Amino acid sequence: MTTTTPPALRSTTLRQSLIVSGLFVVGLLVINFVFFPPSTVVTVVLSGLYQGMLFFLVASGMSIVFGLLDVLNLAQGAFFMIGAYAGFAIYGTLPESVSLEVRFVAALVGATVFGGLVGLAVEVGLLRPLYARPVFQIVLTFGLASAINEIVRAIYGPAGLIPIDPPAFLDTTLAIAGGRFETYRVFIIAVGLILMVGISLLLQRTRLGIVIRAGVQDREMVEALGINVRRVFTLVFMLGTAVAALGGMTAAPFLGAYPGMGTDFLLTAVIVIVIGGMSSYEGTAIASILVGLTRATAEQISLQYLNTPILASVSILIFMIVVLLVRPSGLFGKE
Amino acid sequence: MSAARVERARNSGALSFSILMLYVALPYGVAALTGTPEPNLGALAAWHSAAESVYCEEGLTPVTVILMVETLSMIVAALLARRSGDRWGALGVALRRDGGHLLAVMLLIGLPFLISWQTESSVCTRGRAFYWESVLIDAFILAILAISYNLLFGFTGVVSFGHALFFGLGAYIVGLLMKHLGAPWWLAILAALMGGVLIALVKGVVGLRIKGLYFALFTLAFAQVFFLLAGNRLMVNITGAEDGFTFKVPDWLNTTQNRFFFYLATLAVLVLAFVVVRRLMNSPTGRVLSALRDNESRAQMLGYNTFYFKLISIVLAGVLAALAGVLRGVALKGASPGVLSIDFTITPLIMVIIGGVGTFIGPVLGAFLIHLTEEALRDTVITIGTLSVNIGERWALILGLLFILIVLVFPRGIVGSVQAWWGRSKR
Repeated sequence: MTTTTPPALRSTTLRQSLIVSGLFVVGLLVINFVFFPPSTVVTVVLSGLYQGMLFFLVASGMSIVFGLLDVLNLAQGAFFMIGAYAGFAIYGTLPESVSLEVRFVAALVGATVFGGLVGLAVEVGLLRPLYARPVFQIVLTFGLASAINEIVRAIYGPAGLIPIDPPAFLDTTLAIAGGRFETYRVFIIAVGLILMVGISLLLQRTRLGIVIRAGVQDREMVEALGINVRRVFTLVFMLGTAVAALGGMTAAPFLGAYPGMGTDFLLTAVIVIVIGGMSSYEGTAIASILVGLTRATAEQISLQYLNTPILASVSILIFMIVVLLVRPSGLFGKE
Repeated sequence: MSAARVERARNSGALSFSILMLYVALPYGVAALTGTPEPNLGALAAWHSAAESVYCEEGLTPVTVILMVETLSMIVAALLARRSGDRWGALGVALRRDGGHLLAVMLLIGLPFLISWQTESSVCTRGRAFYWESVLIDAFILAILAISYNLLFGFTGVVSFGHALFFGLGAYIVGLLMKHLGAPWWLAILAALMGGVLIALVKGVVGLRIKGLYFALFTLAFAQVFFLLAGNRLMVNITGAEDGFTFKVPDWLNTTQNRFFFYLATLAVLVLAFVVVRRLMNSPTGRVLSALRDNESRAQMLGYNTFYFKLISIVLAGVLAALAGVLRGVALKGASPGVLSIDFTITPLIMVIIGGVGTFIGPVLGAFLIHLTEEALRDTVITIGTLSVNIGERWALILGLLFILIVLVFPRGIVGSVQAWWGRSKR
């Protein structure tokens, strides 16, 4: 895929998309202030941001991986789930005498490493043999997601695990604008933001990042320069699954772990990627926040007036369909 | 090919159909003449009730014998036709082309009677034969679903992860119309099919704006809308939300009363779906569909508007899947959000891949193989060392792993691999 768009024009469309996204956020805030008192608005925004960050952790890996080698990893949601279960396993194995803080950090690190290792195994063992048949790669990841789901079900049973306790300093509430909020939400948002900036720095400031960005733009050219894109891809795939697993573990004290969580997050991640524009990192980052905020707003409205959270999921689907009708390549995608 | 030959080839389809009709009509006629009807019935009803009394006997019935004789003569005729050259005319063509398929359908028609003979049970009331009929009905429905998915994925190359949408839609529309509006069965079924067409058009027109793999993502999310709508609590009085709903069906479609009839009806729909897809793929339209699967830009360059051809495929696959959903809804006399869930997208996908992508018989074979194996191994427990596995409970897992293995090692599936091997050994 080559882009012939001149840089100047590209930045104009980028600026337009940014303006549209900004207006969208302002619109959501206005809706919020019309419907709810300020304290509820803060809850909605915080909830939107924390959901958005979780979506980002699942979607970012998918988006970069797709940009590099056109591999659509539909098992990314399953890696999110693997992260949560790995975290639970580490929590359970470490003795009670170890302090909660240490166990929590161990679970975070362990889940990330485990997710990365499984990702490595999947890429090397299952995806590499299929480069000649790209359609089968997607089909395989789709089947893999259901297989991982079943493995988890076989080991832990169909019922979910109740959320684990976060360390004491995160198990408190904060008072903002007259309302009280769990500190843990802020923690999730912080983790998401750190990774968002971290990945962005990795892409912009390191040699690996330059290779990745160049590979997304024009893979053949990068190969012609003597760089082994396949190897870079393996690394990126691993990083993507590790980040998703970290996301799963980060969410575990909040959501617990259950066999269907992978599918739930995969579907939202898919929507985020479609809205943001495939293979656009900044698009994925911004779209995940937009989707999170939309979802939280719709959820609050729906709970207040309809007494069921149905609008939460429907709203983002409508959002996606509207974006597709107006701009089939997504907000930040290449035309 | 001479004009006469073309004419004969064209007639052979109708001829195969007639053979099949004769195959069913003969034992029915004999049963109607020899059976004893229930008293106080009109002429036609008495006729049918007489036939039923013979059909429902346990063990070896005249019907079973006639069916077996017919099937054997079919085998002989098919074998003779292979050597007949042009002497048998259209009949020879029909037997050569469809002989295998005809035989398979005949065996399926006779199968409940064979089971009833072997297990001393009746095809009409509780027993082994009755139970296996319901298993086979499920297999037929899944086979129709797999055929429709194969049309999309195997023949047209459109990757869709939202096929369950149409399956569930069929079951829901038929059920809701019959339950709440008291619609007659034919209207409900027609409405379900029209619903399938409409949603397929929306999906195609909106979704096909998106290129390539993007479309696959879109289908995944699009199908999810309907899954969520079916399970929402707002319409709990209409759809029953997460629990689903049940509805009444006419007696003659009721699987607890007239299961054998429903068995034949489902089989007929399966044959219809098979024939429609094969006819389509052998038509000029079908050639374009395979062309755009192999190389879309080339098909465009040749002047075909690939958008319309993809749309045709999406709509037809949607209608066939909706038809399968209708059968499922009527068979279970109910529907729940489960039929719209991602499971019913994965199932046909696995069946198509295992059976053979882009082959005619592959999806059917895959569906039969998977469903019947699952049913046969339901209560089997395998113990390896300290590890004991209940096959029935872990079936989805086993299937998932098998699927990965097949994708990696035999991407052409059973039928494709066999065909390739056959072709090689012939050369």
